[in-house]
Amino acid sequence: MSDAHAAHADHDHQPPFFVRWFYSTNHKDIGTLYLILAIIAGIAGGAMSGLIRMELAEPGITFLTAFTDQNLPPEAQIVAASNFYNVLITYHGLMMIFFMVMPALIGGFGNWFVPIMIGAPDMAFPRMNNISFWLYVASGVLVTLSLLSPGYAQQLGFAGGWVLYPPLSSTVGSPGPAMDFLILAIHLAGASSILGAINFITTIFNMRAPGMTLHKMPLFVWSVLVTAFLLVLSLPVLAGAITMLLTDRNFGTAFFDSAQGGDPLLFQHLFWFFGHPEVYILILPGFGLISHIVSTFSKKPIFGYLGMAYAMVAIGFVGFIVWAHHMYTVGLSVNMKAYFVAATMVIAVPTGIKIFSWIATMWGGSIEFRTPMIWAIGFIFVFTLGGVTGVVLANAGVDHYMHDTYYVVAHFHYTMSLGAVFAIFAGWYYWFPKMTGKLYREWLGNLHFVFMFVGVNLVFFPQHFLGLQGMPRRIVDYPEAYTYWNQLSTIGYLVTAFGVVVFVVCMIDAFFFYRRKADANPWGVGATTLEWTLPSPPPFHQFNELPRFDTDDAKAF
Amino acid sequence: MLPPATAMAEQVHFFHNVVLMPIITIISLFVLGLLVWVMVRFNSKANPTPKKFSHNTLLEVIWTGIPILILLVIALPSFDLLYKEDVVPDGKQVVAEADGATTEFIFENDFPQSRQVKRSSHLQVLISSPAGLRSLKYKEDYSVKGFGDPEVKVSLKSAPAMGEQVLIRGGRATQNGSNCAAFKRYFDICEKQVVLAPSMTLKVTGNQWNWNYAYPDFGDFDFFSNMQVEEKTTPEDFMFEVDNRIVVPVGETIRVTVTASDVIHAWAVPQFAIKIDAVPGRINEVWFNVEREGIYYGQCSELCGTRHSFMPIAVEVVSRQEFEIWINKQRALAGLEPMFQDDVKLAQIRADADKK
Repeated sequence: MSDAHAAHADHDHQPPFFVRWFYSTNHKDIGTLYLILAIIAGIAGGAMSGLIRMELAEPGITFLTAFTDQNLPPEAQIVAASNFYNVLITYHGLMMIFFMVMPALIGGFGNWFVPIMIGAPDMAFPRMNNISFWLYVASGVLVTLSLLSPGYAQQLGFAGGWVLYPPLSSTVGSPGPAMDFLILAIHLAGASSILGAINFITTIFNMRAPGMTLHKMPLFVWSVLVTAFLLVLSLPVLAGAITMLLTDRNFGTAFFDSAQGGDPLLFQHLFWFFGHPEVYILILPGFGLISHIVSTFSKKPIFGYLGMAYAMVAIGFVGFIVWAHHMYTVGLSVNMKAYFVAATMVIAVPTGIKIFSWIATMWGGSIEFRTPMIWAIGFIFVFTLGGVTGVVLANAGVDHYMHDTYYVVAHFHYTMSLGAVFAIFAGWYYWFPKMTGKLYREWLGNLHFVFMFVGVNLVFFPQHFLGLQGMPRRIVDYPEAYTYWNQLSTIGYLVTAFGVVVFVVCMIDAFFFYRRKADANPWGVGATTLEWTLPSPPPFHQFNELPRFDTDDAKAF
Repeated sequence: MLPPATAMAEQVHFFHNVVLMPIITIISLFVLGLLVWVMVRFNSKANPTPKKFSHNTLLEVIWTGIPILILLVIALPSFDLLYKEDVVPDGKQVVAEADGATTEFIFENDFPQSRQVKRSSHLQVLISSPAGLRSLKYKEDYSVKGFGDPEVKVSLKSAPAMGEQVLIRGGRATQNGSNCAAFKRYFDICEKQVVLAPSMTLKVTGNQWNWNYAYPDFGDFDFFSNMQVEEKTTPEDFMFEVDNRIVVPVGETIRVTVTASDVIHAWAVPQFAIKIDAVPGRINEVWFNVEREGIYYGQCSELCGTRHSFMPIAVEVVSRQEFEIWINKQRALAGLEPMFQDDVKLAQIRADADKK
């Protein structure tokens, strides 16, 4: 038995291809699968945003009509194009949130590095890890089916926005099966995330290397721990809400139908009770890995480690009690609004602690501007911009002007599309040598950064001005007054898209042309977490002998 | 932000432009400055040996404490603004005919406990004469006894002349006076005027994909408002202009009740700083009081389906007289008798109608 076990644990022993990638229980392989899924979804979601920006380049519905049935009369083509636009914004949001950022940060980097960083051989429940991933794939299939089934008036896809507000998402606004498929897809994605979260919580609480107390745990692990709790607490509420929607649509209940005594706003409360923690689910793992990158390339320990860890806990906690700031205009009572104004502004304090602590980590350091560090510094700046506009929007009195305008679009893309995505790229360039055992040409990574940074800022900064001019979100066509900034925004998209091309070139180059092998630690003395003690790529099974943190010379992170 | 059309929207602008924008700009530049500084000063060439510190309690207390103070600076005016926007004004005007001798006038303080007239700023006294309105100054022109009592007594220093009217306005809702200088208005340092309770209600119903408007105070009529076709409007106004505009009188508080018949819509007029969801089965309430005549535009602001982009809102603010003529016209369209008497104008309308 012990011989067989030893043989099985041999580093070179890998299962055959199909068994390895389809039955996989190995956290690193599952992490890789998640990252591949995220890249595919990112390209799909990015292409959708491209169609959106192309349509918005000029006033008038001129671009999306090309995607409609050319035999239809012009008016019907316009209607079909308007519906297609709404489908695009809906699936762009869902794709980027559920199938790009979450799989990349939690499923991908989380699976890859949480066990390694805490000195564990694998996740606590490897088979559950497998089902988590494949549920995600099934969910992706359902989303695709939803995109290909009729929603409103025989037009394909659900066209009611990613927030799924009834009655637009009930049989009143979307009678077709597209919405039902979407509900089932979100159920599966939610189940997958809940299982994944349980796995992370168990792993982090039970499988840390001897002597690694919670207060010695790397910040990325802290961030995933907090994220996992947010997932476990918030996703069941979403599941409840969309189940009610499902029964409203199919079985004659009336939770959200005011004609029968229901209330559409109940859905909004439930949705945002999930939805607001969700935005922290998207960004917290990014916070964690930015801390490592900043520390590594400043060659300095993280400033205010405990403050950083508990700032994330605080953000996670407060994130649960601010949901109705998404609902300032639905007709809440003024006292309720006042509470949500106050609670929302509180979040600025722990976020400020994180920003200043990152800068203090760099302060006095010896900063090397390697590719991941450039992305991390870019992240800090754009996230600050997204954060301060959040403080503006927190004020209900001003939000009555800004709500559902492009100012909001700019705000959350600064935190998500610039913030979370920059964190993903920073993490990607940071851990790429570790995951693949290959180096990339850093000048290509830097060029990717330059195009992305200029591009996304050009996309989203003008949208603040559009919002201040009063342009509502989610409109397929706009009055002439909004033309200038929209054109600029579309040009920004083209720059960004070129940046993505540079990224793809950089990766192809790294795999097929550059082909330099990465050392165990390509980043030097600053990289102190456990993954850098393993070879690159790490062995199929790591830590046959557990690292110990209970000795005198153990590094407290 | 679009130029404000109401005193309320002006205060939103003041809060955004004078309080929020400078604060967030300074914070962003401060963070940018710090980032640039550490990149210049602490790069590996300038500082080859990194320091090893990882704690500084004082610093951590400072960067927790100062943001809290900044948030307090934001929160206090924010709450003030929010309550002013959300609480529909309940100001009341009492009109007394002057007889040339009486100097004492009574203002019935019959508001709920939390809304009673308790301070001089809750009360305004004006004299209406054929020459127009002129407002009196507290202490200089009149004194008040009994703030907070059921009856507030206003004593004028000199009795107004026969034929003049004394207007006493009281209430907690106040806003910048329309005669206040522009820069004072920008920085919100005007003397405040009492805002009177709504003089009328506008009933708004959102449909896929148009708006329906009713004027329950002026009879049982309503009309649909659709986006104006491109040929009948200018390129600038296209997508903002509608076939049937809302018409409301200038300088009066208008109550707007908003609901929807099918899915959720949102009724918004940025220049009034108003946006309120139209939710089926619920009635939401907002108010506005426009100071200048003109046409103000908005667009539906909650995704409501295929033609969401094409259900604009247009509010035409006119003088009281023109408003009454318009109401008579609408009533005529609905087969109702005129409500307001203005023979000359009515004759004109009938003549116009006959021509058509």
